[in-house]
Amino acid sequence: MKFTSRPAVVLASLSLAAVALAGCSEEAAGGGNDGGDGDAAAACAPGDVKLVGQVRNESNPYEASWLDGGDAFAEMVDLEQDRLTYDADSTKQQEQISQLLAGDTECLVMNILPNGDSDTPPIVEQAQEAGAYLVTQWNKPADLDVADYDHWVTHLTYNGEESGKQIGDALVEEIGGSGGIIALQGILDTAAAKDRFAGLEASLAENPDVELLDQQTANFSRAEALEVTKTLLAKHGDDIKGIWTANDDMALGALEALKAAGKEGEVAVVGIDAVPDALTAIQDGTMTATVSSDGPWQGGIGLAIGYCVATGELAVEDIPTEDRAWYAEQFLIDADNVADFIDPATDESDFACDNVFSRSQGAIS
Amino acid sequence: MTLTSPAEDVEVVAAPPQPRRGVSFRDAGPPVALVVIFLVFSALSSDFRTFANVQNIMDTAAVLAVVTVGITFVLMMGSIDLSAPGVMGTSAIAVALLVANNRNDNDLGLIGILVAVLVAAALGCVSGLALVLLKVPSFMTTLGMSAVGLGLATLLFNGVQPNITDETLASWAVDRFLGFSLLTWIAVGCVLVGWLVQRYSRLGRYAFAIGGAEEVLALSGVKVAPYKVAVFTLAAAFYGLAGVMVTSQLSAGLVQAGKGYDFAAITAAVVGGTLLTGGRGGVLHSAVGVLLVTVLTNGLVQVGVSPYWQGGVQGLIVVAAVAAAVLPQRRRNQVTK
Repeated sequence: MKFTSRPAVVLASLSLAAVALAGCSEEAAGGGNDGGDGDAAAACAPGDVKLVGQVRNESNPYEASWLDGGDAFAEMVDLEQDRLTYDADSTKQQEQISQLLAGDTECLVMNILPNGDSDTPPIVEQAQEAGAYLVTQWNKPADLDVADYDHWVTHLTYNGEESGKQIGDALVEEIGGSGGIIALQGILDTAAAKDRFAGLEASLAENPDVELLDQQTANFSRAEALEVTKTLLAKHGDDIKGIWTANDDMALGALEALKAAGKEGEVAVVGIDAVPDALTAIQDGTMTATVSSDGPWQGGIGLAIGYCVATGELAVEDIPTEDRAWYAEQFLIDADNVADFIDPATDESDFACDNVFSRSQGAIS
Repeated sequence: MTLTSPAEDVEVVAAPPQPRRGVSFRDAGPPVALVVIFLVFSALSSDFRTFANVQNIMDTAAVLAVVTVGITFVLMMGSIDLSAPGVMGTSAIAVALLVANNRNDNDLGLIGILVAVLVAAALGCVSGLALVLLKVPSFMTTLGMSAVGLGLATLLFNGVQPNITDETLASWAVDRFLGFSLLTWIAVGCVLVGWLVQRYSRLGRYAFAIGGAEEVLALSGVKVAPYKVAVFTLAAAFYGLAGVMVTSQLSAGLVQAGKGYDFAAITAAVVGGTLLTGGRGGVLHSAVGVLLVTVLTNGLVQVGVSPYWQGGVQGLIVVAAVAAAVLPQRRRNQVTK
């Protein structure tokens, strides 16, 4: 019977510990926030702005570099960025947002990577209601119009069809315009996987001598790509001249499979995302090409746009409609220009308020 | 009660309440299914029945086999273990940082591998202790432990992917002996060790007995708790080794090294005839289950089933296989509702 109180004690002590921890972070976050609130609600003093960057997890090099870019911008304007991660868990993301918006939201700027399309509307509604400035990236339902909101400043994403075609073309060129290739798709029900594969199909349509021998999904995962590539190598053998993958993690898995089969360097491999290991592989010549969305820039630009609006340097109603939901520029990286991308860095001039939309490739169609 | 009978594994425990009819059929189900599925795919695809593809199947099965050997001991006890993703993630990152790598100057070689496995075993030990001391159900402790392991791995990961340059570890995935990669032989070794532990050690036999009838064992004066902790520790040591093997395959330590292996291993064990209710099955059963699942995944690609269909088709076949395998044991299985 004496055990009955144990769970209660454990729970109580755990919650105490949690409260203590929360207290610490609260203090840290609120540190730079004691400027005067005398200004009108429209514009915040630069020192009052609170910057938040939220991504899935820091164990992903791309998303970690995104947050680093956010830190770089924050440093530029003498602020600090709150780095939030939600482990690719939609519920956790919504909880974090609710918690954030329950605090002081007047000068809050959020640069958010929604977990999926359907996670965006609740985030937008909450931010609009709380009066925080929100920038979202990558995921948004097509029928949700940014222009209907005045606190959802902008949404930016990348044209997956274009990047899929860019690396498709690079692969075709590398194998000399003819031969068999295989494709590793991402998670099949994501827009990114669909668009990128459509890009490959567009590239193949222009190059009838290149045959798509097989296409499988490896769910954007390095380990799955390793297994699938091994299986396809056993199936098609030397007919495979090139491997198209919908992201670099899968490209790296495919490279390991080639290494295990003793075919490293004989088969061309392309991916998307420009993760550090892929850049190294391109430098070593084992991989052909990748596409960069420039993670550090993404982390900085969302905060920069929100900051410009919060401090009154930019007014939401003055932002042209085509800059409210737009495709950002992406860069094809191959052996020729890989050296420029090895050390990702942000350029301060990209974040100047009159320059924040300079990378726009047009409105999302 | 000494439980020394070396007879049929299943019978080590007090006999199940039903008559022994169908014993041979029950154990033969999964191997027969394996042979049938193998023959069907061989008939459908000439690419499938090549030696290169058999090599590939065995190499692919290696990591899953090691995880499944570990989880089998837990399942035999009637507990469940969801900690594989976290434990494997921790050991994958740990080993990548301990052997020669691009993040630091460590070059511990085999000692590094051993340390990674021991760290994994320690995590399993904590799961076991939480189970027996705090009476938290194994479902929750191991799920929590998985989160702890992933947290540890993320801390160690620290934003930069550790890539290994250690030649021993790299050679595991590349070097071949009698046509199969060293990883495959390691997996074969693990199955063998697992089987010996299950068959001839007190730990293995008590794990069975705990799953069969824990109360009987306790009433006969055996202290069950230390064996439970030991089983979770042993299982986690296997997960740790599996994490090291993934690191060898990918040449890099990944936090997500063990992603999905918890349910894949449970599926393989159950398909092979190890019951979730405990007390039946074993390492060899599970090894057959691993091959079944792997052959299925491989075969569906080889015969050219569209990737959009594969997940669903695979799930259906697994459910059908389990249903066929456990049909003679329906009464035992009712516990799982």
